[in-house]
Amino acid sequence: MQEVTSLAKMVDIEKNFRAVQALKKVNLEIQPGEILGLLGDNGAGKSTLIKVLAGVFPPDGGKIFFEGEQVSFSSPKVARAMGIETVHQALSLVDIMSISRNFFLGREPTRRIGPIHLLDKKKMNEECEKTVTGLGVRVRSPNEFVSILSGGERQAISIGRAMHFKVKLLILDEPLAALSVRETREVLRQVEKARESGVSVIFITHNVYHVYPVAERFVMLDRGIKIGEVYKKDASPEDIIEIIATGKMSKTLKT
Amino acid sequence: MEKSKNHVEVETRGQFLSFSQIRRWPEFGVILAFLVLLTIFSIFSSNFLTLRNITGILTIVSELGIVAIGVAFLMIAGEFDLSVSSVYAFSGFLFVTLANKYNSPLAFIITLAIAAFIGFCNGIITLRARIPSFIATLGMMLFLRGSLLAVTGGESVSYSSDAIMPTLLTRFIGYGFRPSHIWFLALTLIFSIILTNTRYGNWVFATGGNREVARAMGVNTNKVKVTNFMLSALMASLSGCIVISRFNLANASFGTGMELEAIASAVIGGTFLTGGYGTIIGVFFGAFLMGMMRTGLVMIGAPAYWYQTFVGAILIIAATINLKLRHLEM
Repeated sequence: MQEVTSLAKMVDIEKNFRAVQALKKVNLEIQPGEILGLLGDNGAGKSTLIKVLAGVFPPDGGKIFFEGEQVSFSSPKVARAMGIETVHQALSLVDIMSISRNFFLGREPTRRIGPIHLLDKKKMNEECEKTVTGLGVRVRSPNEFVSILSGGERQAISIGRAMHFKVKLLILDEPLAALSVRETREVLRQVEKARESGVSVIFITHNVYHVYPVAERFVMLDRGIKIGEVYKKDASPEDIIEIIATGKMSKTLKT
Repeated sequence: MEKSKNHVEVETRGQFLSFSQIRRWPEFGVILAFLVLLTIFSIFSSNFLTLRNITGILTIVSELGIVAIGVAFLMIAGEFDLSVSSVYAFSGFLFVTLANKYNSPLAFIITLAIAAFIGFCNGIITLRARIPSFIATLGMMLFLRGSLLAVTGGESVSYSSDAIMPTLLTRFIGYGFRPSHIWFLALTLIFSIILTNTRYGNWVFATGGNREVARAMGVNTNKVKVTNFMLSALMASLSGCIVISRFNLANASFGTGMELEAIASAVIGGTFLTGGYGTIIGVFFGAFLMGMMRTGLVMIGAPAYWYQTFVGAILIIAATINLKLRHLEM
């Protein structure tokens, strides 16, 4: 019934906010170990689409398949438990909490003392420090507040956290917004490393030059409609910009 | 080249961190203020550091502190509870009425259950109606206080039931100490451990620190908030039962203005008004500071009216320091 090859498949997804139709029968499919660029102008419905996939909003219509099974996520927690994790520039870490508390937020390890379950702080700090150091982020201790970190370091830790918890589908929502050139390169390297370890990545951006170097396929949205889908070998960044700007696929790209 | 640059970055960060390290001991400021005041009062009044006076202070502090712990725990999750003072008076009244009719343990349990329900309502109103908890609980505060005054007509009710709960809550146990002191200490420890050493505590911090992030990370922030609203009401209710057991009398005007004293204790103790940060140990000392000032000012010969003046000044200083430290942190 379903192709076994696709990791996640969204079929005819619809989502309305009151009178506004945010998504109109959108289809999206992602293969294992693939980096997909999800592009579109502001308000195109990119974030809404992936929020449906990540369990933040229930869809008003359509079906979602994950690893061949039809699923319906009632909350982000359920989606996360299945291996779908979103990394968002502003929505991944709590500023006024320590790095290790952030790292394990929602998945805190505990140890038992009689009937009481207490946080296993030692394990939290050790594992967090190991992962964070492995990512090349230099911090004095995992007890430091996230607020002292740069944008690139936060992004690195968010992605590293997803990898630590064995994510299968990593959704990056505008991961390069407000990052320096060097940080951008670091994050892109991390994304490729994630792909190499078999993780599928959906990379959302409105800037095609951010995603073009790493993705192999691109999906374009405009006002809630999927307006195009191209492989990298078939289109240049300029072709993709043209599709987003005009809202339709040019004849030469249609196959 | 690259290496040296990294080195510089670490160095500058090192200086930055000295503030950050103070920030992570938010009790530091309040304990310092506590010791300073203790010293001043001890110097100016020879009777201040006597067992009798200390236990007297402890009695007031316990009753305020139990309320303040609940208020602070909720504040860390990002919400206010102004209704605690009314819940406190309402619970005392309900406890006395029920105890006079039945018995005190049953009255105590029913009172706590109804208080928890009031807290639940506070939470649901705040979350469902999407109005700030400051307004929702201000409404609840006026609603409860008004009902209480209307029903009782301002008349006091005397306690004339068994001694079971009063003994467990507040009757003297020797050297001027009361069970309420132990309740306060125990609840400080329990809430402190919950906040810093359990998964739930981590969710409380995250919910108050950044609700959207917490939700995205799979924390049920609504559940955390409603739970904390209930805990806040429960603590206020317990304190109400304690104070009524001590006076053997319930009056509808008990605890007026206490919600602000509780919030002041929390802020003086280092809790962020904006949520996401605070410690229960800090609140413990914050409440202590308030109680100590109330007695200390009288004992060194200042008119009792000055109490509020000093609380006001200390509150502004504490809030300013909190904010400054937070900006250094960011």
